[in-house]
Amino acid sequence: MDESTTTPVEQPASRSTGVLTRIVRAVGWTSIVVGLLILGFVVQQLFVTTWFSQQHQTALNVEAEEHFVTAEVTEVEYVAPPSTTVPGEVTVDPDGTVTTGAGGSSTDEGAPLNPGKRTLLVESSPEKGKAFAVIRIPTIERLEEGWAVVEGVELRNLKNGAGHMPHTPLPGLPGNSVISGHRTTYGAPFHEIGDLVPGDVIEVDTAIGTHTYEVREVIIVHPTELWVTEPREGAWLTLTTCHPKFSARQRLIVFAELVDGPNWEAIYA
Amino acid sequence: MKQWFVGLPGPMALKVVIAVVVVLVALVALFFVYDWIGSNMLDSGGTIG
Repeated sequence: MDESTTTPVEQPASRSTGVLTRIVRAVGWTSIVVGLLILGFVVQQLFVTTWFSQQHQTALNVEAEEHFVTAEVTEVEYVAPPSTTVPGEVTVDPDGTVTTGAGGSSTDEGAPLNPGKRTLLVESSPEKGKAFAVIRIPTIERLEEGWAVVEGVELRNLKNGAGHMPHTPLPGLPGNSVISGHRTTYGAPFHEIGDLVPGDVIEVDTAIGTHTYEVREVIIVHPTELWVTEPREGAWLTLTTCHPKFSARQRLIVFAELVDGPNWEAIYA
Repeated sequence: MKQWFVGLPGPMALKVVIAVVVVLVALVALFFVYDWIGSNMLDSGGTIG
C-alpha cells in the first residue's frame, strides 16, 4: 500500500489565520477580565457593603441605646406659630413677599395650630457620626426591627446607618427633620420606602422617647431640590433616598407628620 | 502573568512576597474604585443638595 496516498499532509497556518486567532484570543480574555470586574463590582456593592453595614449596625444599635440613657434631656418653652399654610400653597403678603407654604397638616386636618407657650422636651445635639436614634417602619420588613440613625449625611456616615441632616431639627421636634439612607447598597435601609403610602406609620426612638409619624406624601424630585429639606409647620419627618433603585439620578422623598410622642401635645394641641 | 512573575527580581520567596503585595494593593485600589463608582452612580445615600 502506498503510504503517500493515506498520510494527511499538514498545511502550514496562513498569516491571516494566525492574526485571527490572536484577535479572538484577545477578545476572549478581555471579555473574561471585564466580566470578572463587573461581577466583582456587583458583589462588592450588593454584598460586601451590606456585610460591613450590618457589622456597624450591631455596634450602632448599642451606641444608640447608650445615648438614650446618657443624653441630656431638657424642657424648653416653645411658642407655636399661628400660621396655617398648606404644602405648596403660595401666598403674597401685602409687602410683596411671596411665601410658599411648606407645612400645614393642621389646615389639612381642619384644626389650626394654636399659638401659645408650651413645654417641649429637647435632647442635647448628638456628635457627628454617632448613633442617636433608631428608625422603625412596621410595614417594611427590613426596618421592622429598627435601623440606627447617625448624625450627619456625609458618605462615611451613611455607610454605617441612616443619617440625620445636621441643620434640620432632631426627630420629635418642631420643623422638618430630614433623614437620608441608602436604597441599594450598605444594607439598603430605605430599599422599600417607595412602597409606603399615606397613613403608614414611621416610628423613631430618641432619648426623648418614641415619636410616631404618619406618611402624608411620597414624591420624586431631582437631587438639587433643596426645598424638601426646608422648615415646615408642625413636626415633620422627611426621608430621602435614591431613585430609581440602582441609580442616583433622582430622589424619593417621604413626608411624614408627627401624630404621637412626647412632644406631640406641645406642638399640636 | 507567568512571564510577569518570572520577571520579578530576587529569589523565589521574594518574588512571591512582591506578587502578593502587588495583588493586595490592586485589590484595595479596585475596592476604592468600586466604592467611588457605586457612590456616584448606583446609590449616593439619597442626600439632597
